[in-house]
Amino acid sequence: MSWEPEVKEIERRRKLAQVQGGKDGIARQHASGRLTIRERIEALVDEGSFQEQGLATAIPDYDEDDNLTGYVPANYVVGFGRIEGRRVVVGGEDFTLKGGSPNGAGLRKSVYAEHMAVQFKVPLVRCLEGGGGSVKGGGGRKGGTVGEPVFSAPRFRIIADAMGQVPVVSTAGGAVAGFPAGRMVAAHFAVMARQTAQVMIGGPKLVERALGVSLTKDELGGAHIHCKSGIVDNIAEDEHDAFRQTRQFLSYLPTNVHQRAPRIECADDPERMEEELLTAIPRDSNAPFDVREIVRMVMDEDSVFEMGREYGPSQMAALARLNGQPVGVLANDCRHYAGAMTAEAGQKYRRFVEMCDTFHLPIVNFVDQPGFMIGPEAERNGTIRYGMAAVCAAAQATVPWASIQIHKGFGVATAAHYGPNAYVLAWPSVESGALPLEGGVAVAFHREIAAAENPDEKRREIEEQLRQARSPFPRAESFAVHELIDPRETRPMLCRWVDWIQPQLEELTGPTTFMMRP
Amino acid sequence: MARVQIESEVTGNVWKVEVAAGDAVREGDVLIILESMKMEIPVEAPEAGKVAELLVAPEDSVEEDQVVAVIETA
Repeated sequence: MSWEPEVKEIERRRKLAQVQGGKDGIARQHASGRLTIRERIEALVDEGSFQEQGLATAIPDYDEDDNLTGYVPANYVVGFGRIEGRRVVVGGEDFTLKGGSPNGAGLRKSVYAEHMAVQFKVPLVRCLEGGGGSVKGGGGRKGGTVGEPVFSAPRFRIIADAMGQVPVVSTAGGAVAGFPAGRMVAAHFAVMARQTAQVMIGGPKLVERALGVSLTKDELGGAHIHCKSGIVDNIAEDEHDAFRQTRQFLSYLPTNVHQRAPRIECADDPERMEEELLTAIPRDSNAPFDVREIVRMVMDEDSVFEMGREYGPSQMAALARLNGQPVGVLANDCRHYAGAMTAEAGQKYRRFVEMCDTFHLPIVNFVDQPGFMIGPEAERNGTIRYGMAAVCAAAQATVPWASIQIHKGFGVATAAHYGPNAYVLAWPSVESGALPLEGGVAVAFHREIAAAENPDEKRREIEEQLRQARSPFPRAESFAVHELIDPRETRPMLCRWVDWIQPQLEELTGPTTFMMRP
Repeated sequence: MARVQIESEVTGNVWKVEVAAGDAVREGDVLIILESMKMEIPVEAPEAGKVAELLVAPEDSVEEDQVVAVIETA
């Protein structure tokens, strides 16, 4: 007797578990411009690489004779796949079934996705769409056991642990609310599709019941809200773009914290010197310039991947490559408050440094820091605390760090731009000190200025004296910077530095821990 | 014809107004220069059109996201 009848039954159930929410459910999903979870996974991973786990998970119905009469697939799909040949775990809710609200086996698989990534030490990509738990799901039978036992491990521990072990990416293709919204943000990179996705803690019905305000999903948590709230790093044009960004993000990161970020062959000349860097910074120190152009000219061609552009926009954060080596790039954008560190910029900065620390990515920092943002709004926003947290994150950073002083460097906030043992280059356009001259002189010399016959002239005279003392040459002569350079030399110098730090990077693997920060 | 509201990206003061109501502008033309944190921040036309309204004058203070001009596009 063979086991063929059972084998046939296995096959049948596997097929049944693939039907998702049936033709109607899938048609509804497509009608609103969204992909199904299986289409999402297919669009994300290398062709044919998906290896599903729990092929036959479902909620079955049996008649009295144990014949299968119904079979609702688990509404969470999970498995291994490959991205550019590297293995990842990918999972997501099946919105065509119960709106992605977890059914029994679906919930187990969603939790397992996180465990899988940590256990197998590979990146996790979540394709999120769903509303989390439902009151219908709760409540035990009378007399039965209810709730989790008191000795259960915290349910969300694995989500916290994953972020210290492997790269985690969250994508939103549709509405993401409740617990899935929590998963959305517990990631190193979160991206949402502009037209089809919303991210909310509680959706319109909950909000109306609790607060009496009637808002649409888009008004609550559309892309225009979250590009500025900062809970999502990037907005994608559509789901395919979200997956393209996911693949690009992962290309800079190691498979897990125990491995090194993959250095690739670089087609771009490490000795390339861009002529335009010589004129990139205007001689008039109050005239703005485009720091992204500077970053683009220095880094490997087409390698700059910016994150969170509209959140804390005075601070730019990006991943990029230098002679094939993945690096984290930080740069002040002087077109927003002269590049000042606002509360949001401080949070963005700290988080980015912590990510680079976690995955041991060297940091390259283009410094144009006028200081912490000041003014009544800045005080209300608690800017100084978030700013100091950024300063502390940099001061305790464990990764190799290079800073290029391109323009301003004033006040305590400037300390955030240097990690321990930073390699420091300065352009001739550098200006630095405790305070910018214009405001600083008026404060520090107010008595002399007030006592002078012509206070305005006196102030200008002091400003001029100090300005001369701020020539960049003495700093190079005193070895207060490693080199004062021709801006065109920036790329060759940094590419050499990338070679110097290779032995350090070799040693720098494993989990990172942080202390409490302000 | 569409009216495009142009918002300030920063809090600061109006330093110069570079155009007058009725002027034709091209995409990227500087309409207004703001001064914020001692930087001169240009407010540019997001697309070509005609300046329909200028809502600020030199030395006015502006808030982030405040509408500072309106352009009528063709």
